[in-house]
Amino acid sequence: MSIALADEIRIDSESDIVVARKLVRDTATSLGFGLTDVTRIVTAASELTRNIYIYAGSGIMRCRPVASDARRGVELVFEDKGPGIADISKAMTPGYTTSRGMGMGLPGSKRLMDEMDLKSAVGQGTTVVVRKWLHK
Amino acid sequence: MKTSQKPSNRSGQNAAPGNEAASAYNRSLIEASLDAMVTIGPDGRITDVNGATESVTGRSRTELIGTDFSGYFTEPAKAAAGYQRVFRDGQVRDYPLEIRHSDGHVTSVLYNASVYKDAEGKVIGVFAAARDITERKEAEALLAKASAYTRSLIEASIDPLVTIGPDGKVTDINAATEIATGYPRSELIGTDFAGYFTDPAKARAGYQQVFRDGQVRDYPLEMRHPSGKVTSVLFNASVYKDAEGKVIGVFAAARDITERKESEARIKQQANEILELSTPVMQVWKGVVVAPLIGSLDSSRTQQFMERLLSRIVETNSPVALVDIMGVPTIDTQTAQHLIEAISAVKLLGSQVVLTGVRPAIAQTLVHLGVNLSDISTRSSLAAGLQVAFTKLELEVVKKSQPGRAETKP
Amino acid sequence: MTAENISVISLRNLLLVTVPPDPDDETISALQQKILESMARHDARGLVLDISTVQTLDSFFARTVMETVQMVALMGGRTVLAGMRADVAVTATQLGLSIGATQTALDVDRAFDLLQGEIQGGRTA
Ligand SMILES: Nc1ncnc2c1ncn2[C@@H]1O[C@H](COP(=O)(O)OP(=O)(O)O)[C@@H](O)[C@H]1O
Ligand SMILES: [Mg+2]
Repeated sequence: MSIALADEIRIDSESDIVVARKLVRDTATSLGFGLTDVTRIVTAASELTRNIYIYAGSGIMRCRPVASDARRGVELVFEDKGPGIADISKAMTPGYTTSRGMGMGLPGSKRLMDEMDLKSAVGQGTTVVVRKWLHK
Repeated sequence: MKTSQKPSNRSGQNAAPGNEAASAYNRSLIEASLDAMVTIGPDGRITDVNGATESVTGRSRTELIGTDFSGYFTEPAKAAAGYQRVFRDGQVRDYPLEIRHSDGHVTSVLYNASVYKDAEGKVIGVFAAARDITERKEAEALLAKASAYTRSLIEASIDPLVTIGPDGKVTDINAATEIATGYPRSELIGTDFAGYFTDPAKARAGYQQVFRDGQVRDYPLEMRHPSGKVTSVLFNASVYKDAEGKVIGVFAAARDITERKESEARIKQQANEILELSTPVMQVWKGVVVAPLIGSLDSSRTQQFMERLLSRIVETNSPVALVDIMGVPTIDTQTAQHLIEAISAVKLLGSQVVLTGVRPAIAQTLVHLGVNLSDISTRSSLAAGLQVAFTKLELEVVKKSQPGRAETKP
Repeated sequence: MTAENISVISLRNLLLVTVPPDPDDETISALQQKILESMARHDARGLVLDISTVQTLDSFFARTVMETVQMVALMGGRTVLAGMRADVAVTATQLGLSIGATQTALDVDRAFDLLQGEIQGGRTA
């Protein structure tokens, strides 16, 4: 299996969300994900990059193929140095929002992906890592 | 180097006889010996031999005495150096030489020799005994061949093989290990065994277990190649001991199970394909698909069912989908939730689900679970569901014999 | 994709708006603006939103669509979402999005049938 370098995208503006979606779509498609899974992964990426833009103002997204245990998949990392999340379990509750959003971005992304890790410290920033595996 | 100088103060054990009786006794011992024995004078000439010397050289006692000792060896210079050393140092141990027989064949021997002295303590000659080591040499050659054979077997093994010292450092490896780790032998030996795995702590725990329990079987680890490639392996390892039975290390063999894992993944995929076959979505009429669900529904199966149902609805452009759950033995909250999800996804497409085959037991369970199906049209039978579909599509089922009269079954 | 590229077609008393495949937030907002202006200009009674090429329906997009549906309703129009792709529908459902009582149709054709039937039947919002 080939090891590609992680692609990194800066999220500074709304239009970067589209760029991120495109990169994720291309990566997931080339890894062999089916259309519905590609749409799931891209939609999660759209939610999580928008969170960076709305809540932190700016940050980065990294997208890379991963392999472990004869499984292959894709990993997306969303990192910002924004205000952080005080109550993570609240933020993960469907419908909870501090911005008149639908409050579905975090809980929904978790459901669309196979794995999600959320680390956040108030005043320091937030890192969300999501992964999806092929032929799960 | 002169031979007779610096007489050693060590006395030769096989010193020349002191009195007649002792002398006769010694002589018989010497003759009985299987080792070829010789005495050599300071000038390098043979002064006496035993029977074994006669047979190993193929020459008689009388022929031998008075001739140059070194003349009976494949390497005369080495033979001369040997007895000269005895005169100088008082003795030699295990000095290797090859005696040439008169018929040409050669016997490998080890000489043990020492000086012998007269009553005044003056060195008068060298007493040398040769031990035939042909057999031992053959055994050694055999052993060397055997171990070369074992080594080549080890090298030929497609399984990475490693020996590990008590400190956890690699002490030896084979070629397969070089390939799996991507490092040459010279770089691997002496380094930490655990460092070549994705989970070093687990690797360490593995060989520690071997030192503790004597062995491990099918210990799973992942070897990491510098390219980033990971090889899934199962380790079988046991301790090995020195001659005294002391544990000196671990011998570990790794079996690459990447292929096995891949075939497991293939089997899983095949199972998925069979699953797909077991949840067919059929177009029964223009604009109507039917999806009978049979067997128990877990999350992944419902998920796949939902994807198939939706894409078939789009493909066939069907405004109505009949989902028949007659063949579902039991239903739990989670499954019901998945079904409701599928139904709302169908609604997003612009199509409508009619849930059919709702048996009494399932209806009771759904109500007891508090599942709200009020927004969903449900019918007890597939036939009743078809009727709903036809109504929705503004179709009428008409009996051929009575044209124009609608067969209405609410 | 800018607001100028959004096509809004007026047919009798209905509007047909085609949403681009991967719109950015600005385009989505511009779309809403343009729909509402057209509703007023053509005195339209219904809106068909053709989303058959839309690849990603995230919560921001869904919220804007829902708001637009409500605004159109306040202006006396009914909206039908037409042609959502199967993979997008599965994803939107799993994400947890709901579109409330908004009507849907498999394609633009059926959406027009639906709206015309309702408007002729006198059942307006
Ligand atoms: N990167 C982030 N930095 C700070 N807060 C965040 C971040 N992402 C999410 N949050 C918080 O978590 C809440 C829930 O996020 P989400 O589930 O995406 O819903 P929404 O964005 O619609 O509010 C947000 O309202 C916000 O308070
Ligand atoms: Mg959000």
